[in-house]
Order: sequence, then C-alpha cells, then structure tokens
Amino acid sequence: MAYVATRGGARAIEQAERLFRTEMGAIDAARVAEIRAAMPYLIDRVMGEASLYDEDIAALALAQTGGDLYEAVLLLRAWRTTQPRLQVAEPVAQDGLFTHRRISAAFKDIPGGQLLGPTLDYSHRLLASEVLTGTPFAPKPVDAAPTPAPATQPSVAAWQAANDLVDLPEPDMTRPDDIPDVTREPVLFPSKRAHTLQSLARADTGGTLALGYAAMRGYGKAHPTVNELRLAEAEVMVKHPKGTEFSAGRVKVSQAEVVSKSGDKLSLGFAATLGWNEVKCISAATLDLNSKGAAKGSATEEEFFLYHTEGVESSGFCIHFKLPHYVTFQSSLDAMRDANAQKAAPQTPDQEPAE
Amino acid sequence: MSLSSLTKPWQPMSYGFLDASAKREIRRKMLKAVAVPGCQMPYASREVPMARGWGTGGLQVSLTLINPKTCVKVIDQGADDSVNAASIRRFLAQVSGAPTTLDTLKANLIQSRHRIPEEKLTAHQTLVLQVPNPEPLRSVQPNMSIARQMHGDADYGRMWLQLYEQIVRSGRVMQGASYPAMVNGRHVMTPSPIPRWDVPKLHMAQHLTILSAGREKRIYAVPPHTRVEPLVFDDVPYRVEDHGDLTCHRSGARGFFMNEIPLPDGSAAHEISDSEYGVKTIRTRDGEAVETGDTWYINGLIEDAT
Amino acid sequence: MQPVPQPTADETRANASFAALLSALSRPGQIQTLPTSGEAGVIEALLDRECRVACADPRLLPQVMQTGALIAEIPQADHVFLGQMTTAAPLNDICIGSDLYPDAGATVVVNATFDNGVRLGLTGPGIDGETTVQIAGLPADFWQLRKQRIRYPMGFDLFLLDGARVMGLPRSTTLEVL
Repeated sequence: MAYVATRGGARAIEQAERLFRTEMGAIDAARVAEIRAAMPYLIDRVMGEASLYDEDIAALALAQTGGDLYEAVLLLRAWRTTQPRLQVAEPVAQDGLFTHRRISAAFKDIPGGQLLGPTLDYSHRLLASEVLTGTPFAPKPVDAAPTPAPATQPSVAAWQAANDLVDLPEPDMTRPDDIPDVTREPVLFPSKRAHTLQSLARADTGGTLALGYAAMRGYGKAHPTVNELRLAEAEVMVKHPKGTEFSAGRVKVSQAEVVSKSGDKLSLGFAATLGWNEVKCISAATLDLNSKGAAKGSATEEEFFLYHTEGVESSGFCIHFKLPHYVTFQSSLDAMRDANAQKAAPQTPDQEPAE
Repeated sequence: MSLSSLTKPWQPMSYGFLDASAKREIRRKMLKAVAVPGCQMPYASREVPMARGWGTGGLQVSLTLINPKTCVKVIDQGADDSVNAASIRRFLAQVSGAPTTLDTLKANLIQSRHRIPEEKLTAHQTLVLQVPNPEPLRSVQPNMSIARQMHGDADYGRMWLQLYEQIVRSGRVMQGASYPAMVNGRHVMTPSPIPRWDVPKLHMAQHLTILSAGREKRIYAVPPHTRVEPLVFDDVPYRVEDHGDLTCHRSGARGFFMNEIPLPDGSAAHEISDSEYGVKTIRTRDGEAVETGDTWYINGLIEDAT
Repeated sequence: MQPVPQPTADETRANASFAALLSALSRPGQIQTLPTSGEAGVIEALLDRECRVACADPRLLPQVMQTGALIAEIPQADHVFLGQMTTAAPLNDICIGSDLYPDAGATVVVNATFDNGVRLGLTGPGIDGETTVQIAGLPADFWQLRKQRIRYPMGFDLFLLDGARVMGLPRSTTLEVL
C-alpha cells in the first residue's frame, strides 16, 4: 500500500473555514454599520477585552467571527499588536471625566448627586415579542431634566479621604511614556500596579465575573460596597510633535470603586476599562479589593485571577485540547501498559525501587 | 518635525507579520535563553492571528528567524499534513515568502509540536518546539512565583519525590511525554510534550533548539552540545516508549516511534509517527532514489551521545 | 488575499545581524559575520524603547538614542557597549541579574581583535568538547574579572566584535587562559 503524505490537511482546513463562513454570507460595510449601531454594549465589551478602541473595527471583528466573542477579541488583539504606537496619551483623571452615569451605593446622596444615566437596572426584563410579529419596538424619547447634570463629578473616594475614612493611593508620578505596558512586557509577580490594572481592564468579562462572584459570595475576605460606579467619556489628550496639546477624540470608559472596612479605615478596590461594562468593573474592583494579603492559590490572589481571567489565553488553551494529542497519549499509554504488566507479573526483588 | 518623520510608511502587514519591536523583544530573550540553557525567560508574547495554545510561541520565534531564503518545515505529532501544521506552514509562507518543505534534511527551520524528527538534525538547522506549559514544576507547584523561586534555588526535591512516589506506587516512572530533564547540570526543564523517545535527541545535539510558550510567555533553549539529562535514579534507568520492536504496517520499517491505530477487530496496527520519514522508507523500498539522513535510533536503539 | 510582504532593507539587515548573533552565542568561540561592521547591526537588531543602554563610545550615542532606548549608567543597563576597553573596571558594575531573573543579566558588546593575543580554552554548552580561540585588544585582567563576576546562572553575556566579525561568549562558557 502506498503511503503518500496527502496534503489532506491543507484542503480540509480550507473547506472547514468556508463551511463556517457560508452561514454568515458576504460581509459588507452596511452589516458592520448595523452591528455598530445596534450593539453598542457588545462593541464596548469587545473593545475593552481587546484593549483597542475603535467601534468600526470592533463591529467588523464581530461580523467576521459571526459573534464568537473570543474569536472577535483575538482578531482585534492580533491586529492591535501590529499597529505602531505613535503616542502615549495624557493620564485621565476621575474628576475630569465627562460623566453620563455615576451612582454610589455607599451614601444616599453624594456631592454632585446620584446620576442614574442610561441603564436597564430598573426596567422589567420582558421580551418585546411583538417585534417578531411585525410591531416595531420604538423606545420613547427621553424627557430632558429641567437642569442638566454637571458634566464632571468628583470621586466619592476623594470625599472619604477628606474625611479621613480612606487613604488614597499615592499619586503615581511616572511619566506616561514610562508606564509599564502589559502588551510590551510579561506580567511577573508580585505584579506592577500598572500591569494589574491593565490586565483587569482587558480581562474576559465572564471570567472576571466568575472569580469576582466567588469573592463576593465569601471566598474573598472583603465584602464590597460600591463606592461609585461611573460610565463616562474621556478626552484623549495627545501632543503634536510641535508641542501643542490637542484632543484626539473621546473614548467611552467605565470604572468602579469598591470599599470595605479594614481596621479603622476603608480599603479601596479599583478597576476601569475602555467601553461601558459595569459587571466587569465591579467584579474586577472586587478582586482588586480582595487581593491584598490573599492566600497563594486562592481565587482572589493576584497571580491566580490575572492569569485565569485572560480571555485570549484561557479560551485559546481551552480550544487547543481539540488538537491531536495522540503522541502524548501514546506515551502515557506506554507507561500505563508497562506498569499494569509489571503488576500482573510476579514481583522479583530487583524490581523494588531503591530506598 | 512632523508625525511622518517619527514613523514609517504604512504597510498592510510587516514582513513576517510581527512588527520590528516584537521581533526585537523575541531576539533579546532568545539570546538570554541560549545563554542560560533550560532556564525559562519571560518575554512579551504578542497576540498573533492564531489562538493561544495553538503554537503561538513557536510561531513568534519562527516569524522572528524567518527570511525569504529560510526553508521551513512544520510538523504536528510528527506529521506534516496534520491540520494545524498545515495551517502554520501556510501562514509562515504567506507572511514571509519563505519556501516550505516536508523533507527534514532540506529544512533550515523546523517548527514542531510534540515531536522531534527521526532523522538527525545538523548544525545548520534550528528546531522550534511549541510549548503548552513551560513549567516542569507545575504538577508539584502550580503557583508560578513559588516555582520560579524553586528554580532560583535549584530546589528540585519535590520533583524527585514525585518520581520516587510513582516508582513506589506503580513500579515505574509514570511520566509519559514532557519528561523533565536537567539541562547543563543546573535547570530542570520540560522538553515540551515530546515523547520520552525524543528527549535523548536533545542531549549533546548538533542543532539549536528553541522552546517557546506563547500563552505562558516563556522562552528557553537548548544550544548544541548541551547536556540534557532526564531525571532518573541511578538504579532505575530512563526508559523510552517500548516502540523499538514495533513494525510500521505501511512501510515495514521497525525501530521508530509509532502511532497506534486501533482496528475494528480489536487489534491495532502501527505506523511511523514521523510521516515524512515513513514516506521516504516506502519510496526507498519501491526503488526510488530518496535521500535519507542518519537517524538517531538504529534498530530501535539510540546511540549514547556522551 | 494580501500579497506576500517584502522585507525592507532594515528588516533584512536586522534579520541577518540577529542570525549571526544567535549563532555566535549558541556556538561560543565560533566566529560569525554580521552584515555590517561594528556595533550598528547589534543596535539595530536588538534595541528599542524597552531597553536601557550604557554606551562608552559617544559615537554610538546617536544611533542608540534613535532606537528610543533610554541611556543609563552601567549598573542599570541591560545592554552595555564598552567599545575599545582600556581598563576592565567597567565589568565590575555590569548587572548580572538575580537568581529569580537571570535574564536581567546584561548583554555586553566589546571591541577586540581575533586570531592573535591571549589563547583561551573554552568549554560549556554550544562547544563540542573544548575549543581554543585567540583574542587580543582587551585589558589584561578582563578574563579574570569576567570569571569573578559570573555566578551562574547569574552573569552577563559577551559579544566581541572585530569589524564585522562577532564572537559570542555567554555566561555559561567556562574559560581558561592557556
């Protein structure tokens, strides 16, 4: 029998991809635009996990992957990594954020006020099934408030610090260009603060929720109180080579501060991400709150949660088990069969291991 | 000064996909890996257009080394036409224009998952092994920071204890693939999940081996002429898979690592795992003039390189 | 489908420089050839804004700074260019990394002359048994100081340059003055 190494592999993968794409059909600019317009929160989630802010490119990634989120994020990350870095923008301060929504669970009212903003929190989760039978679901227009909310809001932690309830972290004076970048160096532990916050910002939403929820249920030491949750837009300030500072545009950001009592002060957990993603920010801030002094190997230990909420790595490794492993399997079988054969055979003294 | 003077003309894709800074990072860490054989060097592993765990570490090394004259071979489980090998080979060719080959002897750069070819590699070849888990201590210490400290202290007691316990319980070391090996007498490394059959091929080899884990962001190396000694006890010798006496049902060759193919009648057939070596064997048998290299194993036994 | 990208001249040069450096370090004592003479190829292939560089030869500074690398003192530098050395003293300050992170040990580039001068016997990874090389143009106590500073796996890795020729001496190489 001839043993010809057919190039079956090459043909098979080509056809398998075609099969996958057939269902979605051709992708055009209109489809991308529709995804962008219809799914802003999905776009936000994907942009956050990809750490790449561009709604059109995110929508394209969703179109191209048929909405497989892990594939979409990988596609964006792989594209992002090849893009040149022209500038590091100026830091964004909480009280400079153009704030759409800012709420606190810690106080009934806060300086600047509770600002509900856009949310489904108090909506009744009822399917608009009439849409399927031909009645469009048209949202009612917003009635503007008599006075507009202030565009910027101070942080709740700032008020607490002024009242000696919490110690704010020392201002980090690192020049923007020198901030450690998790996409340019590996995370090593104990992790640099910048690496922790960046990793959480691009962490997988579901993974962050799973571990954050474990901490909330009691596997963490600290029970979070949401000091503030904020959805906002941040001005991206960059410098022209001539020295002029200018805004390159605004990006949506979300952030959460959570606190818990720790001795005679409150301790603070923080997370922020590109795009509006409340679940991720609260979960990530809860993990941050719990990480100090967490036991090695526990879900709230920094090494544990940063490694295991990395969506591109974890999803990739998970699906890699689909790859053939017959060589490693063969190797294990060999050891197992030999051990079983030895057990079946009468023991001779020289088979005993040395002490 | 203008923005354009600070950057380069836009290209849809860099040569070899990776941008210059990604390549420089890999280069710097490859040099450190060679300087301390077997020691895992952390590196800023970039995302590439393949999923993590699918050879992204090996791919980044290959993309850094490749140029239009590099002759590339890619195998997975020993086979050139395995789907993922085909995918990686196609990508490498597409982004570099480098020629590809199935012939081990013709390749300058061999990227492999889980196998080392049966024909001996020579000084002009570089082997890039894809590594899922670079940490040999993971089974005794899953925490990376503690494991790193153990490597720093050359504290391999728990590793030895694990092997000892296996011998006590099962009468032999139960480690299948990824058999831990001491490199240059100092660092214990995992040779990636190559079978035990392949580990001796790294010992005092002619070629350079780079092992790269993209997801775990670690790179390590075995330079040529470097000691790679599987961890064994003096009185329990290292044992490769019992494949020396198996016969390939396609080529009739004996004495190489085999794939076991279950048959409907309950029995099993075997075929050479190194697919291109199997092809060469058949062609030689059929009277074709095929150049076959020296093999590490002769009659199912490996020569002692020390 | 996108066409196969073509390597730029920079890319081709950096790729060839690195091939020479990798071969040199993998096979200590064997001389490799860089595509260009002197340090330029090393700088181009290895350095960018992630690096901290100490540079004894001011003529290299413009090229080093153009890579975006930070200019540093020797103890803080991950890449050290010592040029033509008159005293071996700078070796005292070179970062050798730590037990935990041996990769922090610096890469050191020095000018030398091959094929005459001190005879050295080399053993270690990358060397088939033992090899002998001859190197001139280095301070008398250079080799002794190198030996003192290396505490394997901590240490620094040397590239000796003689024009476009390069020899690598990783910290794993044991070296005996014959």
